[in-house]
Amino acid sequence: MDKSLFIEMEAAQFTKTGQAACGDNVRFLTVERENRHLAALSDGLGSGLKAHILATMTTSMAIKFLESNIPTLEAAEIIMDSLPVCEVRKIGYATFSLFDFRLGGHAKITEMGNPGYIHLRGTTEIAPLKDEMVVSAHWPDREVRECEADFRPGDRIIICSDGVTQAGLGQRRDMKFGWRRSGVMEFAKRRIEADNEISARDLSMAIAREARYIAPGGCKDDISCVVAYLRHPRVMRILTGPPYYRENDAEYARQAFLGAEHTVICGGTSTNIIERELGVKVKVNLADIRKSGGLPPVGYIEGIGIATEGILTLSRVLSAIEEMRSPDNEPQAARMILERMMSHDRIEFVIGTKVNESHQDPGIPQELELRRSVIRRMQQALERNYRKDVVVYYY
Amino acid sequence: MEKIKVEICCGTACYLLGAAKLMNLEEHLHESLKDKVDIQARPCLGLCERDNLGGAPFVMFNGTEIMGNASLEKVLDRLNLLIEGDK
Repeated sequence: MDKSLFIEMEAAQFTKTGQAACGDNVRFLTVERENRHLAALSDGLGSGLKAHILATMTTSMAIKFLESNIPTLEAAEIIMDSLPVCEVRKIGYATFSLFDFRLGGHAKITEMGNPGYIHLRGTTEIAPLKDEMVVSAHWPDREVRECEADFRPGDRIIICSDGVTQAGLGQRRDMKFGWRRSGVMEFAKRRIEADNEISARDLSMAIAREARYIAPGGCKDDISCVVAYLRHPRVMRILTGPPYYRENDAEYARQAFLGAEHTVICGGTSTNIIERELGVKVKVNLADIRKSGGLPPVGYIEGIGIATEGILTLSRVLSAIEEMRSPDNEPQAARMILERMMSHDRIEFVIGTKVNESHQDPGIPQELELRRSVIRRMQQALERNYRKDVVVYYY
Repeated sequence: MEKIKVEICCGTACYLLGAAKLMNLEEHLHESLKDKVDIQARPCLGLCERDNLGGAPFVMFNGTEIMGNASLEKVLDRLNLLIEGDK
């Protein structure tokens, strides 16, 4: 894939009301060596734990088969042969949709039993280049749909479980057959019309939420929506730590505004360098001091972004990323960094490697992690847990 | 009368060694002083690298006067003196 492009793949889910586990499962995989990006969505028979197990087995196998280039029909047969049989219904069943995007722009979509995918270029629906139904000799009643799509920059592909397309079924008079695929598509078009750069994360959440609240009384089925969006990456830059050589301060400071949509300065000394070299001033509002909640308050630099304390804040962000915690309950500084990370595709760290001697004070009660080790772990967690493209520069 | 500017350093060392408590300074100010003091948080005053100023946390009054090893009590005492001096 062209390195100037990025594929954002995100999912949003709601569990059927009253169930302890979601009966749908979504899995993503990036195969770096082949520049391939895979997604699998499965809806297990029934709901609750049993469905969850069926769906999770299906996505685990499917993504592995996809990665290993096993022909789809063969893979589907192995999956269907392996699933445990439901005692009540005497069948073993989980639907799936697989998305395989590789170098050159062609995407392969394989579906069995799930609602048909939606491919949008702006607000125009794009038909597949190839669309075939294949039938298994083992399972003649199961049809597998194999499609190929010309997936171009700016395009989006939406994949849903039937909890989305059947939302509202039997509950709303104007939706005799539920929201349907056409309803989902119209909704997505309206959202794209309102914001033509809407992220996969926001669009998948908007669709899932609409399905969740389309009729009162909670979720009647598990709801899952996956969106893949191919675009030029949104770049966020984090500057942290003073450069080792003072003569590099000016160049380091220029990184604060060159080529990034959002910049965060993490660290008091780094912020002082930015103020001095760029002639800007950090403002910390009194209101932000009051609601800083366990971390030093956030400052604002006009035209650049936000400034936070360094290592305590980064360590908190790291633990949230490693444990995949929601940003919502984090202290303000960590929350603001996490929210920015989630809405950007490429995270660039610009790290000054000078050691801060004041951190070596034996009176400091907590163990302070080394900046470089925090960033190394953050890179791994961002790539593994959030499929971000991470770049690190040292000064 | 001009407000007394109090800048609290929020660098890592200062924050860990007591500036976190100084963030609540406003709540500890007597009602009669609230409109006479302008509290600001600074990312880092850069004072912990300098000798002979005492240790973190640091607070600066009116942009010139430095207080090392600052605590709520010390800052409140100093503010009272500064305000009385202005009368």
